[in-house]
Amino acid sequence: MKGSSLALKGAVLLAAVFVILKFALPLITAPLPMSLIWLYLFLATIGIIVFGTLSGESTEALLGPVSRFLSGEGIRGATKALRLAVLVLFPLLVGWETYSGLVSSTQPPGENRTIHPAPPGEFVGLANPVANTPENVMMGKGLYAAFCSPCHGPKFNGNGPASDGFNPPPANFVDPGTIAQLQESYLFWRIKKGGVGLNVEGHPWKSAMPRWEVELPDDWIWKIIMAEYAGSGHKPRTWE
Amino acid sequence: MKTVPSGRALAALMAATMGVLWGTPAPAQESVVVRVKLIQGEVPTDPLSPEWEKVPATEFPMSPQVHWQKRILQTTVKSITVRGVHNTKQIAFLVEYADPTQDPADAAALEFMVGEKKAHFAHGQPMAQVEGGLVNIWYWRNDTPGAADMSAQGFGTLKKQAQQDVQAKGVWRPDKVKVKHKERKLNVRKDPKGEPMKDPKTGDPLFDEETKVVEEDVTGVWRVVFTRSLTTADKDDVQIQPGTFPNIAFAVWDGKKLESGDVKEAGSQKAITSWWYFNAEPPTDYSIYLYGLMAVVLAAGVEFVIIRKVKKGQPV
Repeated sequence: MKGSSLALKGAVLLAAVFVILKFALPLITAPLPMSLIWLYLFLATIGIIVFGTLSGESTEALLGPVSRFLSGEGIRGATKALRLAVLVLFPLLVGWETYSGLVSSTQPPGENRTIHPAPPGEFVGLANPVANTPENVMMGKGLYAAFCSPCHGPKFNGNGPASDGFNPPPANFVDPGTIAQLQESYLFWRIKKGGVGLNVEGHPWKSAMPRWEVELPDDWIWKIIMAEYAGSGHKPRTWE
Repeated sequence: MKTVPSGRALAALMAATMGVLWGTPAPAQESVVVRVKLIQGEVPTDPLSPEWEKVPATEFPMSPQVHWQKRILQTTVKSITVRGVHNTKQIAFLVEYADPTQDPADAAALEFMVGEKKAHFAHGQPMAQVEGGLVNIWYWRNDTPGAADMSAQGFGTLKKQAQQDVQAKGVWRPDKVKVKHKERKLNVRKDPKGEPMKDPKTGDPLFDEETKVVEEDVTGVWRVVFTRSLTTADKDDVQIQPGTFPNIAFAVWDGKKLESGDVKEAGSQKAITSWWYFNAEPPTDYSIYLYGLMAVVLAAGVEFVIIRKVKKGQPV
């Protein structure tokens, strides 16, 4: 009878939801935090219970096996041993979870750093005033080599010889998730104001990015930006 | 009428539940935390004390200081190893690094944030959108006995505190060690004929990057121990609470005298890290075992009541 397998179907559905959220989803996007997976499993469980209790027959199909398992009615052989194991393990598991929740953490607190926080208003939508000519790009590459490559690397990949001790590491411009997603005006802000120009979400206290406005004129910064796009093979993001 | 055995359904349900409860093993944590072990008795102040061998070591790669002027692009020290112990009253950090020469101006420093306010790792320099705090710097130099307990909140503000709470001792020995570090090379890309290749659009020569970890033999190791009470009465000092994860940063200077008469690394020219963490192991709190046991008893009691009600046919 189809109703009698409802508990099994529910269990399989929960397991499938867990496997998809925990293992399959990270293959295509960022992993979900365990708290969110818990929430989805909770919602799935509620859905199963609501569906399983729509009629008296389906309620029996959903809860009957649970009830018989708990009471031990008609259970023998391997299932009897399984029942005993579950009844013993459940309190131990609750105890372990309680202990784990109270014991001091050995890991540092999570760092919810925003990699590309919002820039101040005066830096939004600025156009690069320097003409994008081969000469200016060439000059930008020279400036990049002198000022930026020790950290961001001669190949624009964040693998410069001075990068190893910094946390967070210097940005990898070749990665499609960095400057390819940003407008030139954003880079202008980040280079001009440096790490200490970030807002609190960007954790400015950790950034080793110099505040280049104290050393470089604005047109040099714009030329460096052109060099970073040319060298990394990306184009600045535009609104068009 | 075919029925599914309740055992199979529940086994599947149990497997799903166990999977959720246990999750999957967390990925290996990077070495970002100095584990400051809780010990009985006095903390070792001697850098050569065998007690240090019992303590886990954490290695931190170093960068040349390129954040502000005056910069340096290459430093002698590529990485440092740090260990820590405390006894709930005193804390000691051992900093070890390879340096082939023992020089009067060789130096090392630890840096901490003070209080709740975040401070920039570069001497607590001001931040545009965040009100920053003070940093506390523990500084040791080979030609100066002890240590300097210092404060800073921005470049040019570094000063020795009125109340000196830090002790330090450094020992250099000609030990032979192997130092691993990354070596990066740019190789000219060549075509099958062996001719250098150029970018067809720009005409720029093309290069390939080669990064490998190399092992270098170095004779000479500095071992420096910094010691202080976990807490002090000085408001400009870092106050250390076991069980928390305060930030820590490191700096070392190779004080070798060059032929020009200049010191190789001095002032802002040094090897540094930005912020990492340390954790002073908290004393064991036995009450958590009691709470765990109480949870076991409570869960078993609830389980017992439910089974009894189910057996009697009562609603749960």
